[in-house]
Order: sequence, then C-alpha cells, then structure tokens
Amino acid sequence: MSSLIKNELIKIFRKKTIYIAMIAIFLFLIFMNCMFKYANSSSNSAYLYSENHLNSIKEELENLNPENPTDVTLYINLKSEVELYELMNKYKDDEWKLSIINSRISSYLTERNTYLYGAEKSETQANEITKKIEYITAKLDEDNWKYFASQDLETANKKIEELNSQKQQTQDKEILKNLENEIKNTKIEKEIAEYRLNKNIPYGTDYKNITLSNLQSASTKLIQYNSQETELSYEEQKEYNDSLKTEAECRYILDTGINVNKSDSLKGILQNFYSEFGIFLIVVIVMIAGTIVSDEFNKGTIKLLLVKPYTRNKILLSKFIATVIIIFFVILSTVIMEMLVGGVLFGFDSLSVPVIEYNFNTNMLEEINVFAYLGIQTLAQLPMIVLLATLAFVISTLFSNSALAITISLLGYMSTAIINQLALAYNLSFMKYFVTMNWDLSQFLFGNLPYMQGMSLILSIVICLVYLLVMLIPTFIIFKKRNIKNI
Amino acid sequence: METILKCENLYKTFGKKTILKDVSLEVNEGDILGFIGPNGAGKTTTIKLILGLQSITKGNVSINGYDIEKNFTNAIKRVGAIVENPDMYMYLTGFQNLKLVANLYKDVSEDRINEVVKLVKLENRIKDKVSKYSLGMRQRLGIAQAILHKPNLLILDEPTNGLDPEGIKEMRELLVDLASIEKMGILISSHNLAELDNFCNKVCIIKNGKIIETSEISKIKQEASKEVKIFEVNNVNLAEEIIGKIEKIDTNKFKIKVPKQEVPEIVEKLVKNNIKIYEVKQEEKTLEDAFFEKTGGNIIE
Repeated sequence: MSSLIKNELIKIFRKKTIYIAMIAIFLFLIFMNCMFKYANSSSNSAYLYSENHLNSIKEELENLNPENPTDVTLYINLKSEVELYELMNKYKDDEWKLSIINSRISSYLTERNTYLYGAEKSETQANEITKKIEYITAKLDEDNWKYFASQDLETANKKIEELNSQKQQTQDKEILKNLENEIKNTKIEKEIAEYRLNKNIPYGTDYKNITLSNLQSASTKLIQYNSQETELSYEEQKEYNDSLKTEAECRYILDTGINVNKSDSLKGILQNFYSEFGIFLIVVIVMIAGTIVSDEFNKGTIKLLLVKPYTRNKILLSKFIATVIIIFFVILSTVIMEMLVGGVLFGFDSLSVPVIEYNFNTNMLEEINVFAYLGIQTLAQLPMIVLLATLAFVISTLFSNSALAITISLLGYMSTAIINQLALAYNLSFMKYFVTMNWDLSQFLFGNLPYMQGMSLILSIVICLVYLLVMLIPTFIIFKKRNIKNI
Repeated sequence: METILKCENLYKTFGKKTILKDVSLEVNEGDILGFIGPNGAGKTTTIKLILGLQSITKGNVSINGYDIEKNFTNAIKRVGAIVENPDMYMYLTGFQNLKLVANLYKDVSEDRINEVVKLVKLENRIKDKVSKYSLGMRQRLGIAQAILHKPNLLILDEPTNGLDPEGIKEMRELLVDLASIEKMGILISSHNLAELDNFCNKVCIIKNGKIIETSEISKIKQEASKEVKIFEVNNVNLAEEIIGKIEKIDTNKFKIKVPKQEVPEIVEKLVKNNIKIYEVKQEEKTLEDAFFEKTGGNIIE
C-alpha cells in the first residue's frame, strides 16, 4: 500500500503540470503582494482635488448668477466648495489640519455663503461666522491640534454635566432612559477625546483615527443593543458580537499602539491567507485530484496498474491518499512562497505581531502567533478543500473526464459564497445541513456564533464526513466492478 | 508438466451481445501458446478476462491454482502482461517506468532492472523519455516491465506490433529462452501468423468468440497438408493430359490431392509417357494457410 502511494506521488511530481501551476501561483503572489504594497501608499491628501477639477468648478461658478433664484443653491454649494478647497490647499502639508477644516470649517463656509447669497441675507450673521472661521484658522496656524482635542473633551464634559442635571429634574422613565443612553454616548465621545490626548493621536485618516471612529461606532451600537428591551434575534446577536469584538480590538490597538489589522504586511497577508489565496490553492488541488485517475484511463496506463498484485480498492485508496498529501504540499509550498515574496516586499518584522481574536467563551482578547493562527485556519478550511478535491476525484474516476471534474469542483467553490448568502438572506433553515454552510469550520472558532442557529462544530464535522462518504463509497464500489474497456 | 493457466468455459456478455462463448484453454509450464483469430474474434477480451480487467460472466480462470476473481492478488502475483498497446507513462524515462513497476513487487532490485533492460536491448535509450521512443522500443519496454518480477505466466497481446524484422527475431529468441530456461508459460496473441509459426508449440484458434481449434502446431500443419503432393516434371501440360485434374504451379510444377498409396501409380503413369520426374514431395503448409483453412476468412459478426 505504501509503495502504491509512493508511486502515485512519483507520478505527480515527475509531471510538469504541478510545477507550471506552482510557478503560476508564485507569479500571482508577486502580483498581489505588489498590489497590497502600492495600493495603500497613495492615501495621503485624500481630501484634495485635482487642479483640473477645481478649474472646471470655478468655470461653472462664473456662469451662475447668485441673483437668479434657480441658480442660487448650486451657487452656494460650489462657492463653498471652492473656498473649502482653497483653505485646504493652504494647509495641505499637515493632515490633521485638513481633517479639522473638513469637520469644523466646511459647515461654517456653507452657512456663511447662505447668509451672503441666500434668501435671507444677513451681513452681521455672516461676519460673525467669519470671525469663528478666523478663530479656528488662527488656532490652526498655532500648530496645536491638542487645542481641538481638549475642546472636544470639554464639550463632552459639559454635555455630561448638563444631561446629569436634566436627569435629576425628570421622573419620566422613558425620558430617563433616553438621557441615560445619551450620557453613555457622550461618555464615549469623551473617551475618544481622552484617547486622542493621552495617546497623542492628531486628527487625520491614519489607522489610529480609523480605529477611534470604529471604536465610537462599535460602542454606540453596543449601547443601543444593551438598552433594547426585547431579546436580541440571532442576527442581532451576531451583530452585537461583532461590535463587542471590534470594540475590544480597537481598545487593544489604541492601548498597545500595535496595528494588528495592518493588511500591507507579511503578517496581515498570512492572517488572511485563505480568503486571499484560497482560489489558487483550490485550482491546483482540484487540477491534480481531477486528473489522478482519469489520466490513467485516458492514456491506457490503468491496465498496467490493475494487473499488479493489489486489489482495486487499494489502488483507488492510494490515489485518494496521494491527493490528500498533495493538498498539504500545495498549502505548505504556497505559504513558503508567500513568506518569500511578502518577506522581500514588506520585511519579516511583522511576524512578531500577534493575531488578535476575541474569545466569546471567556470574553477576553487572545493574542495568537501568526503561524499558530494559520495552522488553526488550515484545520478549519480543510473540510472544504478535502471535499472539493474529493468531488473532482470522484467525477474523474466515474467519468474519466478531467475537464468535467475540474470545472464542476471549481464551480462548487465559487458558488459557495452565493449559496450561503442566499440561504442566510431567505433564512432557509434547512440549509444548515447543506455542505457549503458546514465545510468552513472557521465560523466556530473562538466561540463565534455560526452562520445559522442550531449549527455546531460536531454537527458540521459529521455532515462533512457524511458528504465525503456519500461521494467515496459508491465510487469505490463502481471502480471495483468496472470493466476496463478498450482504449 | 504443471498447468499454470487454466480457463474453463468462459462466457462474456455485454448487454445482449455475447462476446465469448465457452472459451477454454490451458497453458502449461514451458508452453508458448499462440492465440490466433481475426479482428474482433475476442482475443483481447479473453486476455482481459484472464487478467481480471473485466468481469467474467460465466466460467472461471485460475492461475497457479488461484481463482482470478476470488483470489485476485495471489492469482496475479506471478503474471506479467501487455494488453492491447504497450501503454507506458510517456513523461517518464524508460528506467523510471520500470522503477515504478519494481516498487510494486518485493525483491526487484536495481540490478534486476538493469538485467532486464539488457535482455530487451534497450540499455542505450533507457534514460530517455518514453515519449521519444518508437513503437518498437515501447514494445520492448513493455516486455521488460512484464518480465521484471520473474513471472511464470507471460501474457502478451500483439507484442510484435511495430517491431522491425530484427526486433521480431530477437523477441522470438527471448521468448523461447524464457519458456525453455525459466519454464515460463507464455500466451501470445498475434495477427502475424508467420511469426507464430516458428516458435509456438501450441496454437489456439478463436473465431466469433468461440475456440475452433486447439492443438500442437505440428499437428495442424500436418493435417492441413496431409493429402497434397507436389511434383516437379519437365512437361506440366502433358502431365495434365495424362492424369486429369491437377493444380499447375508453374511450367515445371504441379500440385495434386491424392492419398499416399496412389502416388506410385501416378509416377508409373508419368514415366510410361516419357515425362521426367525430378522431385515428388509433400506440401509444407505454413500456419497462415492452415489458419485460413480453419477460420475461413475474416468475418466480424
């Protein structure tokens, strides 16, 4: 038996096909890694328009007459846009200033233009706004972003005090509850401002700012779900868990200053290995699984094999085992290739950054080494990969048709996402016994809620095994009884 | 002499079509059995049944005492075979192909591979890819893989296909050696009757899925040519006038179908009429002639 498996592996590794496929994967890896590297590097000055675009706006502005009531709204909008851009252009060297202009001044600009050109003209109001704008720009000139952050903090504190005093004045339960929620939301705003000051995070669009805004929205959502009186539905429970996870992750990032979600790093790519490169693995694996038997039939060498002193069951089983070994080979060599390509492009430093997962069983964050995480993911993806390989193997054995075997298996892989989405969208609970819902075990990791209520890890493994046996047993029986016709 | 292969009353049907009807044959130690029949007679099907490549509808096959269907691995253990074409892994070298086969048997050493390669005279090309081989070279490699594990039954389906006359001669010598020295039983199917003529000791003729003759080769030829005598004389036309119905071969030779006892009578008649007789001999029939006599041409049902 072991010599049969050895022979199968020799046959596979002496063929050029597998090497051509691996080289193709290697080239794709280089291509995709380059995309990751250069996609993120051009994010600076996201606020700024191109010169051409601005000129075309200015031209349009000249053609409009603010006196004309049909033009006036557009005129105000475009005018404010031009002013905003000019202001930004002035401060384009500091990203935090752009962020401040965008969040605080842009609404003032529109307001001022409304007083200047709109239906209710008011010179005094406009002047007042101009003063406000000038005050802010003066602060911008001082180069002190902390002023704005502490202003945020102050505003939040004041609001909390105010809400607290309001709370004491009322007895109405409904109002009390609303106030309570508002206080909680304001406390988050306060916390964000504190983070900004304590961790020295200037305004901008970098990952820390994104983390801050993610933290805010996740926390807000949690407050909303917590105050909900009815029991959470399964869908809501999943969203609640997501928010819980995001909140914990954001706090981790802000507290440690480690960007665990950095996608343009070797660790980031390895962490999402299966979602990014899964298709390559599947194509190569299915290609080998879909030819391992049919090739022997098509070339006539099956007769050579079947007159050796081994039962047909052993011969077919050895081919199946060889296919499973190839699965591990393809995964391992793709990981190694990614290590090479990613390491050269991004450096190996990121490998020391842990992967963060929120464990819903212990309600704690777990730090996992990226390789351990990759191992866990591999185990979780294995049912899907093995089942797809088996599908190709079975079709190629039954019909001696490699093209059919490969095509159907790839279709199976690619339609998984759509099938699962439809099943969830229409809440088809019988689908929880369907293979595509069960063959990705990563849904069960870290106490996550699975796709549908009533699914469990054990049940999924059993379902996958049932599918495996339903495919394999008839194939072995048919192969055993098969008449080897003329070739 | 021990019986190695024994087929008893084999039947094979595909759907309603009966391919083989009551096929029985035997191969003993040291036998070279020529398995002859026109296209579509069921030669390859019989071989596939013997090798367990197709299921047997009725009857049984035993090799070295083991039933092929009930005890496949033991039955096939000491069998070497080429079925239809010498299909090898084209992307491997000849040596790698043999190594694959060697891996599947116990005690086939590298030395044995080299020995067999020398035996089939492939030593110069054994490191080349099989895709670069001619059909004749593939045929040699096919024989090499079949005898690698020292089987005692060799089954060869059209092994002379694609071999040049030199190659055919070499293979014939090789097979005769294997049969006489290694005491192998060999079953060889072929269209090339002239080839079988010289080295098979038994022949089995199949037509429309039925065995129509099984016997020693010498017997068949004797039987077919028993009655025919060839005369070499100086005047064929005169001889015709005197004896009556003869078959003229050329100006000096004619054939006549008479029992042995009547030969002196004819000679006397010819001598009396002053015809000179140079030679009188019994016609030697080739296997091919005998074959056509038995099968009556080539009709596929």
